[in-house]
Amino acid sequence: MPRLLIVDDEKDVREFAANFFRKRKIDVTTASSGEEALALLQNEKPDLIMLDIKMEGMDGIETLRRVKLLDKDMKVIMVTGKKPEEENCGGKCAEYGCLDYINKPLELDELEDVVLKHLMN
Amino acid sequence: MTIDYKKELESAAKTMILVHDTQVLIKLIVRMIVHKVKVNHAAILLHDTEKDTYVLTVSRGARGLKVPKGFARMDKDNALIQFFTQRLDEKLFNHGVVVYEEAQELLKNDEIDAHLKQMLKDASYQMEIFDSRVAIPSFFRDELLGILLLGQKENNEVFGRDELDFFVALASDVAMAIRNAQLFRDLEKELDAKKRLFVHTTIALAAAIDAKDHYTHGHTARVTSLSLEIAKKLGERNHDAINEKFLEHLQFAGLLHDIGKIGVPESILNKNGTLVGDEKKKMQEHALLGSAILQPIKELETAILGVKYHHERYDGSGYPEGLKGDQIPLVASIISIADSFDAMTTDRPYRKGLSRQEAVDEIRRQSGKQFNPVIVEALVELYQENKI
Repeated sequence: MPRLLIVDDEKDVREFAANFFRKRKIDVTTASSGEEALALLQNEKPDLIMLDIKMEGMDGIETLRRVKLLDKDMKVIMVTGKKPEEENCGGKCAEYGCLDYINKPLELDELEDVVLKHLMN
Repeated sequence: MTIDYKKELESAAKTMILVHDTQVLIKLIVRMIVHKVKVNHAAILLHDTEKDTYVLTVSRGARGLKVPKGFARMDKDNALIQFFTQRLDEKLFNHGVVVYEEAQELLKNDEIDAHLKQMLKDASYQMEIFDSRVAIPSFFRDELLGILLLGQKENNEVFGRDELDFFVALASDVAMAIRNAQLFRDLEKELDAKKRLFVHTTIALAAAIDAKDHYTHGHTARVTSLSLEIAKKLGERNHDAINEKFLEHLQFAGLLHDIGKIGVPESILNKNGTLVGDEKKKMQEHALLGSAILQPIKELETAILGVKYHHERYDGSGYPEGLKGDQIPLVASIISIADSFDAMTTDRPYRKGLSRQEAVDEIRRQSGKQFNPVIVEALVELYQENKI
């Protein structure tokens, strides 16, 4: 089963996305902060990380940078907010090596497509 | 489905039409549906007119899938949105609702056109993604304003015909409410713009008077702001008449109080010395003249009282009518003090202005004579608090 790590500080988002992908036969782990995600990555190696940009504490961009320091081949897609400066991570995420990004509010089938595409690759 | 909650929902929908914050009421409706109809979850996708997309605004459910607010959207080309905007629901079903099970049955039917079938298949897949069993569109005329999505019933029963009919009626009420709220918002925006235009026009007029009167540069702006300060102080002391509307009228009265000077010859306005005889009379006419100029503007009714009577005196010795005490409208009494205070503290070619302390002392001496004592007190307090 492909493994997906969802990192988001909003409980509702974590639960919803986890259920959504579990139904699609994906092994989902969640983390509620960048710090928690980095700790998890010491012992686990997911096939893909879905990472929210706007989080309390360490934000998604910094988390992405550190994830890439741990494992430069780790596949990460970013979930970005409505504000223009957040949209497409303001270009920064590509520099740190994110694979893709999805803008909130998002189309669920687009989310499904993007995640499945990168998980299967 | 029992009759009592039906009534509750109906009355909620009726209230919605009156309330301009639809979000609150939509939440209420969704919550009620979840609790009373006992569905696992319910969600509403609303049309975001700015971005022209449908955003999942409310989602509730104890058991079912709870989509975080603002997380999901459906674009216009989304299969479910297309299904409704092309009114394929009417073509395939005759009750304005898509029921997932009915859709699955229909997909097995070979008589249906292949293209239509594909559309239905894509639309029902969208329902699947949201774990919904029923999708109810909300139309205002031909415009799809939103979609209500309902999950499975808690006891796994199918939805009854009467229930579905009721949801359709509810959806149309919701559409009306949303539409009303949008119209109301647009109207408010337009009103705000018109109000700004009016305020700026008034300021321009006030500047025209100031330009004519060389001695009083900036006088109008200072009188207006001091008047507002005084009124706010009166408001702090629970003066009943002071509310937002009053402050608005006072602002216009302040800006326009000397507009009648437009009809006073410049030789008199700018005379280097005391006015005598006819000159004085001409100058005093500016109060009545101002009110006559503004009289056609119905909206300025209260402000005009300020313009007309700002030279009346508390003891009845002022002009144009010699009003006394409380006969003088509050708006005029306030401007009168602000006007005098500014005149006293401004330098003139033939005399130097008084200090603030001296002006306040003079106004205090005139309390109950030239000025209304209550307003004098407010001015003194402002001075003591270093606000003027």
